[in-house]
Amino acid sequence: MKTRKGYTLRSLGKEFVLVAEGLEAVDFSRMISMNESAAFLWRSVEDKDFEAETLVDLLLEEYDIAREVAEKDVASLLQTWKEADLIE
Amino acid sequence: MKKVYKVAGHKFAVVMPDNDVAWNEMRPYEPFEVEDDSDLVFTARMIDLMPDTSQKQKVTVCCTAPNMPRYDIYDWKGQWLMEIAPMLEAPIRVYIVADKSFTEAQFRVLGSLRFTINTVIMVMYAFATARKDTLLMHSSVTIKDGKGYLFLGKSGTGKSTHSQLWIDNIEGCELLNDDNPVLRIEPDGEVRVYGSPWSGKTPCYRNLDYPVGAIVDLHQAKVNEIRQQPMVQAYASMVVSCSGLRFIKEMADGLHSTIVKIINSVPCYSLDCLPNDKAAFLCYNTVTQQHGESRLAE
Repeated sequence: MKTRKGYTLRSLGKEFVLVAEGLEAVDFSRMISMNESAAFLWRSVEDKDFEAETLVDLLLEEYDIAREVAEKDVASLLQTWKEADLIE
Repeated sequence: MKKVYKVAGHKFAVVMPDNDVAWNEMRPYEPFEVEDDSDLVFTARMIDLMPDTSQKQKVTVCCTAPNMPRYDIYDWKGQWLMEIAPMLEAPIRVYIVADKSFTEAQFRVLGSLRFTINTVIMVMYAFATARKDTLLMHSSVTIKDGKGYLFLGKSGTGKSTHSQLWIDNIEGCELLNDDNPVLRIEPDGEVRVYGSPWSGKTPCYRNLDYPVGAIVDLHQAKVNEIRQQPMVQAYASMVVSCSGLRFIKEMADGLHSTIVKIINSVPCYSLDCLPNDKAAFLCYNTVTQQHGESRLAE
C-alpha cells in the first residue's frame, strides 16, 4: 500500500496534524490529527510502498514494546487510515 | 497615478489611470494612504488589455464554497495567471497576472469595479505577506478595554451578529473590522489585530490596531456553550479562516508557522451560540475572565 498524495504533516509541538495542502488533495479543508507515533510512521513511509509489517518493524526499532503490541497498534492505525482514506 | 497604502505595517501601491472612475472605489483605502513608497510588498497595476494568455497551463481551481469566489489558477510564462469569478458557477470577472512571489501584479476589470479592486488587492496582500508573520483573517473584530476579540466562522454563521451583540449589550465595545482584519506577530512576539480597508458589507475602515485578547470560532447551535480549544482544534479553526494558496509550499509553510505562533500565545475558544445577548455575555465573561459581580448575567 501507499500513502495518498497531497497531504503535508504539520507539527504543532507535541501534536501533529496531517493537512490536505497539495494539488492532489480533493478536499482542501481536510485535516487529520495524529499522535507522535502515528506521525513518525507516516513520515517514515510517505511516498513509499509499504506493508503492515513495515510499520511493525519501524515501531519496534523506535519504541521499546513487544511485537504483539506493535502488531495490534499497527492494525488499528491502518484501519483508521483506511477509514480516513489516507492510504491506497 | 500611483497611490501607496499601509495596512498592518505593510505598504503596497495601486497604479491606475488619472481620473479613472476606479479611484472612487478606493475611498475605503483613504484612511490607510501614506506618502512614503519605499519597501512596498507589492504593486498592482490596472491594464486595459490582457496579453495573449492562450499558452496558459491550468494548475488548479480553488473555491471554498459555492457562494464564494472561484479562482482558476494557471501558470503562464513562469508567472501566475488568476482568473476569478464572484461565485462557483459565475463567469470570470477579474484577470490577474502576478510574478511567482506576488510582488508585481497586472489586473484587468471585466465586471464590477468594487469586486475587482478589492479582490485584486486582498489576494495580492494575503499572498505577498503570507511569509511575513501576517494573516488576512476572515473574521469580525470587536474592541473592548484596549484589546481586540476576533470572531471566526463560515459565511453565514453570525460573526457580524455576534460583534453587534457585544456592541449593543456590553458597555465600551466598538467594531474594529467586520470581515477581513489582519493579524500580525510583532518583532517582540506580541500578536496584534489591525483594521483594514476590507470590511464586507459594513463600512468600517479603521486604521487602528490592538493586542489580541482572544480568538473565538463561532458555530450556530440551540444552546450557548463555550470551551477553550485544544491546540489541534485551534489550528484547524485558524487554517480555514485565513487566506492563502496552500499548494504553494512556501506560502503554506509561512501560514503554518504564523498560525502556530499565534495559537501558542493567544487563547482560542469555540462558541456554540444562539444570536442573543446571553451568547455575548457568556463569551465576554469567559474570554475576558470576568469573575464574581463583574460577570454579566448569562
